[in-house]
Amino acid sequence: MNELHRRYFYTAAVFISLLLAWEYATGNGYLKPYRFPAPSQIAKAFVELSNVGFPRDLTIWIHVQTTVGRIAQGYVAAILLAIPLGYVIGRVPVLEKLTNPLIVFGRSIATLSLLPLVIVWFGTGELTKVILIAYGCFWTMISNVIAGVKYVDKDLINAARVFGVKGIGLYWTVILPAALPRIFAGARMALGVGFMVIVGAEMIGTIEGLGALIMEARTFYRSEVTIVGMLIIGVIGFLISSGLGRLEKYLVPWDTGLDEVRR
Amino acid sequence: MSERISFSDIYWGLIGTLAVIVFWEFAARGGFIDASIFPSPSLAIESAAQKLNGADVIQHIGWSMYRVLVGFLLGAIAGIIVGIAAGWYKFASFLSLPLIELFRPIPPLAWIPLAIIWFGLGEQSKFFIIFLGAFFPVVTATYRGVISVDPLLLRAAQTFGLKGAGLLLRVAIPGAAPDLATGIRIGWGLSFGVLVAAELIAADRGLGYMIMHARLLGNVDVIVVGILLIGALNLITDGIIVWMIRKWIGRWHGV
Amino acid sequence: MSDSATNTETAYIDFRNIGKQFGFGDEAFVVLEGINLSITKNEFVSIVGRSGCGKTTLLNIAGGLVAPSSGETIVAGHPVNGPGQGQGFVFQQHALFPWLTAAGNIEFGCRSSNLTKPQKKDLVKQLLDLVGLSRVADNYPRELSGGMQQRIAIARALAMDPEILVMDEPFGALDELTRIELQDELLRIWEVQKKTVMFVTHSINEALVLSDRIIVLAPHPLGVHMDLKITMPRPRDRTDPEFNALYKKIWVGLSS
Repeated sequence: MNELHRRYFYTAAVFISLLLAWEYATGNGYLKPYRFPAPSQIAKAFVELSNVGFPRDLTIWIHVQTTVGRIAQGYVAAILLAIPLGYVIGRVPVLEKLTNPLIVFGRSIATLSLLPLVIVWFGTGELTKVILIAYGCFWTMISNVIAGVKYVDKDLINAARVFGVKGIGLYWTVILPAALPRIFAGARMALGVGFMVIVGAEMIGTIEGLGALIMEARTFYRSEVTIVGMLIIGVIGFLISSGLGRLEKYLVPWDTGLDEVRR
Repeated sequence: MSERISFSDIYWGLIGTLAVIVFWEFAARGGFIDASIFPSPSLAIESAAQKLNGADVIQHIGWSMYRVLVGFLLGAIAGIIVGIAAGWYKFASFLSLPLIELFRPIPPLAWIPLAIIWFGLGEQSKFFIIFLGAFFPVVTATYRGVISVDPLLLRAAQTFGLKGAGLLLRVAIPGAAPDLATGIRIGWGLSFGVLVAAELIAADRGLGYMIMHARLLGNVDVIVVGILLIGALNLITDGIIVWMIRKWIGRWHGV
Repeated sequence: MSDSATNTETAYIDFRNIGKQFGFGDEAFVVLEGINLSITKNEFVSIVGRSGCGKTTLLNIAGGLVAPSSGETIVAGHPVNGPGQGQGFVFQQHALFPWLTAAGNIEFGCRSSNLTKPQKKDLVKQLLDLVGLSRVADNYPRELSGGMQQRIAIARALAMDPEILVMDEPFGALDELTRIELQDELLRIWEVQKKTVMFVTHSINEALVLSDRIIVLAPHPLGVHMDLKITMPRPRDRTDPEFNALYKKIWVGLSS
């Protein structure tokens, strides 16, 4: 406990001294306030964003809601499609070989490069963003589902068969649980991808959403608002990854932690 | 990830790919889908060739690759140095890790407005964003690689008189190489994705810009060509990196 | 319990009142206490004992990897205060550097010597011949079998031209047949490159085949339980009645 406390103390000390130095520097003209808004200004901007909003009436909470809502829709769509498809493909070797190049290429397409195309098709509304997120999440997810299902230890399957399990029972009792850690890893990665996609997508042609917020703020020279936005984005990103991590530990306690085998 | 590619993999893979392409061509040319908004690759290339200048395209590609390479190299080298330092020297880890953990959840793209504030709309802001894209995966992987070097190897080296910096250079760093390689591969992929986004949002040259510009003109064919080009470049460069990694550590590490 | 010569003039490795404990005060875990042991030059000494008797700790102290809590160790006339002072070490897990070839690993052993490059190359070649593995000089450890890996590890330790050779259950991770093969190999190598050897093993059999002297360490009471000189001529016959008598004697010594 000593080691841990010491580490937290050092961390806090480093941060606080940096913040103080920063505040001092902007206050005394060493740093330009536009490029390096003081921590106090950032804090004030946060309050403003919560109450008044930027642009007017769009509080930070609305922005967060919008962004998270878009991610949720795209993400869920992708997952719902990727899991059954990935499952089937993973279990049927021929299918896997047939689709492998397609999946590899689909994954290589930079999701955001599709934005202009999707805008042509569906305009600049919500659907476009959700589709983009879904696209990005889908390929990551399906790759991991396929890998998870494909690489189930044969010994495990044989062990189950020795006990008379067959057909659908095999899927339920052996393959699915054995694949779950990998599937969860894919879900976690996919959410990360989705998050990155939306932040970028919102920077083009929208005014609502966190990505839009930080872009707009810059146009109006409100750099402290941009920084608040970035920090909120960071917090959400952190919550997403640690939240899913915790969920994973709860639902999949038998995970052997094959972190290195990730793609 | 390390299986030999068998003949049947290639065989079926080709069939699958051809099937998709044929189906797409058929649908587009046969009028089942509106080719003006969803052209097949051949249609797109055909009509784009009329609107695009080959030299321009090469220039766009050149600019994009230049940015990615510079940004990636900066980020990777910084990541390697910080990762090694933080993994080996406790003091360095106290200083750098908390900061890294603080900034990591912020996606590189979220830095774009700030990058523009700091560096303007020129190349530097793009380098910065791409640098971020490469830095985080590389520093994480390198750090993990250094701290997870088999302690037995370090002890063995000590029995031969190695200590301090010698241990770091001759044992810890080679030992961390496999993880480092993985980090580089991931970092490159991220850099590439970040590049595209950065060019869509704020650039006047490069493939991302080419696509954006095409949209303004309503040239769906150019958009499609751009998308496919980027995808192909991504694949090719990733393949090159994998090949380089294999040459570098493949034999003794076995990936 | 027979006492061997503790004539400190001829002692090549001299443990003087060595003690080692982990932890402090009430939580102290004493592994070694009051160990006085002298090993003469080119003697092959095996240390056997049950788990927890401190044999590996004693080896680590000789090798300078662990500092004793009390007492001092003298090797070849100078006190041991760190690793890399001429104590060659062979571990149970071969500890070969995976990124170096077999030849590369052996060369690593002689890196701190004053030899010129061509001289080092010659030495590496010599040692590869000695352990019979010239043909895998350019292979990486992961391409070699367990027995080969350990032979390279031995060659690497010898490349240092060490004053003493410290071996911590080097054949423990190998299968029985390979183990026997390597025991014979080790003896053969030792005949060519005589070194003072401290060898830790769980196997009484192995100790009897290899050593000039067997020391039995025990956890309760802590310390040297037995110190036997083995005078049978080598190579030793595992079916010889004297061999079996000694085996029994040591077995009893270990179990009590």
